[in-house]
Amino acid sequence: MNLERLPNEEKLSLCRKYYLGGFAFLPFLWLVNVVWFFREAFVKPAYTEQLQIKTYVKRSALGLLLWIAVLTTWITIFQHFRAEWGEVGDYLSFTIPLGIP
Amino acid sequence: MDLLSNKWIINLIVCLFSVGVSCNSVEKKIYVHLNYTVPCVRLLNATHQIGCQSSLSGDVGVLHVLQSEENLDWVLSSGPNPPYMVILESSLFTRSVAIKLKNGSNRVAGVVVVAPSTNPVEGFSPHTSCPNENSGVYSESYDPALAHCKETVWNPLGNGLSYEEYDFPIFSLKDDNDTAVIRQCYLDHNHAVNGSRPQYPLCAMQLYSHMSAVTDTATCMRRNDINFSISPEMVCDPLGDFNVWASTKPLNNTEKGHKMGESVVIAAARLDSRSFFFDVAPGAESASSGFITLLAAAHALRNATQEAPPNRTILYTFFQGETFDYIGSSRMVYDMENNQFTVDLDNVHSVLEIGQVGLRANSRLWLHSDPVSMRNSSVNEEVRKLINNLQSAATSVGIPVAEPGVSQALPPASFQRFLRARPIPGVVIENHQFNFTNKYYESMYDNAEYLSISYPPNLTPEEQLEFVTETAKALTEVATMVARALYVQAGGAESQMNSINADPQIVSQMLYGFLVRSNNTWFQQLIPSDLASHLNDRPTNFYVGVSQQSSEPTLLVQYLLANLTGSTVNVTQDNCQNQRVDENDKESKHTFTYMWVQGAAPPNSTERAGFCVRSTVRLSRAVSPAFELREYTSKDYSTWTESRWKSIKGRIFLVASHELEMLTLGVGFGVLLTSLLLTYIISSKADILFSSGREPTSATY
Amino acid sequence: MTAAVFFGCTFIAFGPAIALFLFTIAREPLRVIFLIAGAFFWLVSLLLSSMVWFISVQISNKESAAQQKGLLIFGVVLSVLLQETFRFAYYKLLKKANEGLLTLSQEETMPISIRQLAYVSGLGFGFMSGAFSVVNILADSVGPGTVGIHGDSQHYFLSSAFMTMAIILLHMFWGVVFFDACEKQRWWAVAAVVISHLLVSCLTFQNPEYVASLVPTYVVLFLMGVWAFYSAGGSLRNLKLCLTCKDKDFLLANHRPR
Repeated sequence: MNLERLPNEEKLSLCRKYYLGGFAFLPFLWLVNVVWFFREAFVKPAYTEQLQIKTYVKRSALGLLLWIAVLTTWITIFQHFRAEWGEVGDYLSFTIPLGIP
Repeated sequence: MDLLSNKWIINLIVCLFSVGVSCNSVEKKIYVHLNYTVPCVRLLNATHQIGCQSSLSGDVGVLHVLQSEENLDWVLSSGPNPPYMVILESSLFTRSVAIKLKNGSNRVAGVVVVAPSTNPVEGFSPHTSCPNENSGVYSESYDPALAHCKETVWNPLGNGLSYEEYDFPIFSLKDDNDTAVIRQCYLDHNHAVNGSRPQYPLCAMQLYSHMSAVTDTATCMRRNDINFSISPEMVCDPLGDFNVWASTKPLNNTEKGHKMGESVVIAAARLDSRSFFFDVAPGAESASSGFITLLAAAHALRNATQEAPPNRTILYTFFQGETFDYIGSSRMVYDMENNQFTVDLDNVHSVLEIGQVGLRANSRLWLHSDPVSMRNSSVNEEVRKLINNLQSAATSVGIPVAEPGVSQALPPASFQRFLRARPIPGVVIENHQFNFTNKYYESMYDNAEYLSISYPPNLTPEEQLEFVTETAKALTEVATMVARALYVQAGGAESQMNSINADPQIVSQMLYGFLVRSNNTWFQQLIPSDLASHLNDRPTNFYVGVSQQSSEPTLLVQYLLANLTGSTVNVTQDNCQNQRVDENDKESKHTFTYMWVQGAAPPNSTERAGFCVRSTVRLSRAVSPAFELREYTSKDYSTWTESRWKSIKGRIFLVASHELEMLTLGVGFGVLLTSLLLTYIISSKADILFSSGREPTSATY
Repeated sequence: MTAAVFFGCTFIAFGPAIALFLFTIAREPLRVIFLIAGAFFWLVSLLLSSMVWFISVQISNKESAAQQKGLLIFGVVLSVLLQETFRFAYYKLLKKANEGLLTLSQEETMPISIRQLAYVSGLGFGFMSGAFSVVNILADSVGPGTVGIHGDSQHYFLSSAFMTMAIILLHMFWGVVFFDACEKQRWWAVAAVVISHLLVSCLTFQNPEYVASLVPTYVVLFLMGVWAFYSAGGSLRNLKLCLTCKDKDFLLANHRPR
């Protein structure tokens, strides 16, 4: 879809859909929203709906950062302590590596 | 077309028509694959992992042939091209060298031990000095003075190498061609003259022995059970196999548990051995000498027990997996306690176990008994009777026997597991008074050569099979003694004793079959046709292996025992294979086993004349009760498991210097950048370059 | 060896081809199609020659070394002739296709000239033959070992890569010269292409004396390059103009008629 061809109202509704969709534990929607609407929100000359798009993009970015922080922390903890946790670690793993603890 | 593409075509075609065969000629220019490699693999128990492993993609190291222990310096600190693949003669594979390599493992990619053609004179045992220390009867609670080999260290030569963990692969090489190639490659490329740096390309080796299991048995069994991943994968298997047993009187095998009025004398021997490496476990003295003696004794007793049956039943048992904390005997005792076996412990009158009896050059046999249970007067009395029987049998044969002294513990023996259950009278026959006379306990040198089984030159395999060696004669004497003692112990008349004699011919054939070549005409006659392909031209490997399939020694002992104790019956092949005498017979399968064996081919015919053997030989599971109870951290039962692996292989090749590799990459980048630049210039000026006055518009590029 | 060698050899063998593809072909769909069609024609010729090779190997006496050597030479010659036959077939097909394109096209001129076609199809031939001669070797260059345990030169990978680069460029030049010769019905030039192809292929029999095969191959490459340059419309004058950057007005002069 080419954003250039869309009228401003539809841009806004699209941005809102992506923003709301992200709350269903879909941080990738927020990532897409941030990347896709960044130019619309911050680079393009001002228009009526831009303010709202800006808010959505900012909030999406914030949520995305939160997700990244949480996931990174968890992955670090998990990779570091999986062997130590023993049984729990094994049951939390989807694939268990062969030949290492 | 150039030759390279032509080669490609050839490869393509060869590939298409020989799928699965390595068909890459470039690969052949680079690598030499090792033909016959023997790895050291990872085993796990309740608390530890032992053995060796490589990384998933194989460990690569520059070859270094170790000349002496001082030479280790080159590998561990001074050599300029680490990591090293250390090639050493097995005489250098001592504890100190192995531990130094283990500690310096960031500079060691792997170790290759070149097996010698003769045994080391000074002795070598990679086993522990106190075998099965924690699983026998002698715990702190049984008798603190006898626990942990406090008063007799059974295997003083044991250096415990088999029970260490190494994080690099260790292989043994046998094939002389392979070792010659390795040495040549080392001399051509890696040999440092006067301490100078060897020049690239250097000769290197890659060894693959990646093990799937890790940490301990509890972990790997748990991972076996987790199967919600896309491709669930087994990582380890319990060690185990089958015990072989037979009784002199047919016992109803369908009814388990106590047999009223039955009294059983158990004659036991162990069936397995091990060494540092995976599939070399010749176990000549540690296992074969005992069970061959028992087989010969069983054969000697066949006629006597049929003509004048003693009032007690003799139960011949061959225990598997005894090396790994008494797997077979602990399982049989467990089954007896839980009414899962044909008889139970109340039926057991006494136990006579035959240990290591092969090396006996003019010396005595020693009758070991347990001092702790003999404090009970009734047990003491029965043991004295058994010893008397043995002594009188020994006197009749002419073997000097003696008792080692009252306060000594039993040597490592299956009988200990019976004692753990209850004080049963019993004796273990060994050729040593204190520590083992066996210099190569659980090592690859415990072979036919060590038992001095040698044949005059120029004998054909057939003549070697028939040739009666001195060792066979000595073992025959022991077998006769055991047979006579068993007969009297079972309540037979002493007057019958002198008619019981073991056959030296049978003993020498068994020695040849187990220790030299199992693929011989005698074994071929005694086994069913579907097992004939299992026989090979090597000594039998007595490593117990994993519980999924019966190993070669179990099957061989099963059929030998059937043929030596059973009788030939006139039953058709179909009925025989369906365990019955005729179509209406539904009973005899409860008491007898019928086996259709190949038999010999009559002269001037190639068709073998098969026949049916009826015997009381049975197999019983020899998997540790710990796996039955799912107690993977059990202190009472063996918890040994063997890791699985995907490939065990090795190859040698040359490695190029880092400089040459970087040069290649640099030239590659140079070519790429130059051509990008040139193409850009040419294509941007194509109009001018490729325009002649005549055709201005058809400028191409 | 290692990944470094793999990438090094890949860049050497395919660097020029990749550069040419990126700057001259990738942007125009029609050229991409003709490139792939050219590669396909080369593949068909390979299929035919490998079939003949397979049959003759089955028939031949596998013990006789002389016979096997003879068979190899026969295979190489046959394969070269088949490839050149398919180049001619492709030329004929392109001529037909070009006429068709011309009738379809709204414009007066052809959407792609026969010279461009020659270049594109030659590169297609080169891509495929290069891939087939070196992919196998590249696959083994990743592994830990390098050639030489049987006493071979350790420059095997490097020389194979350079040979492949030469083969790809030669196919390109042969394509240009061959098509030009066919256009102008100069059959001696066609023969020269076939003979030089035979020559280069037979030079690889010199291996493992890599110098003895690489140096003459690069001499042939240079000569064919010059020839292709001239037959593509280049001249010394153009080169001079180009190098001295006196092309501004020339460019203008040249473009005005369009």
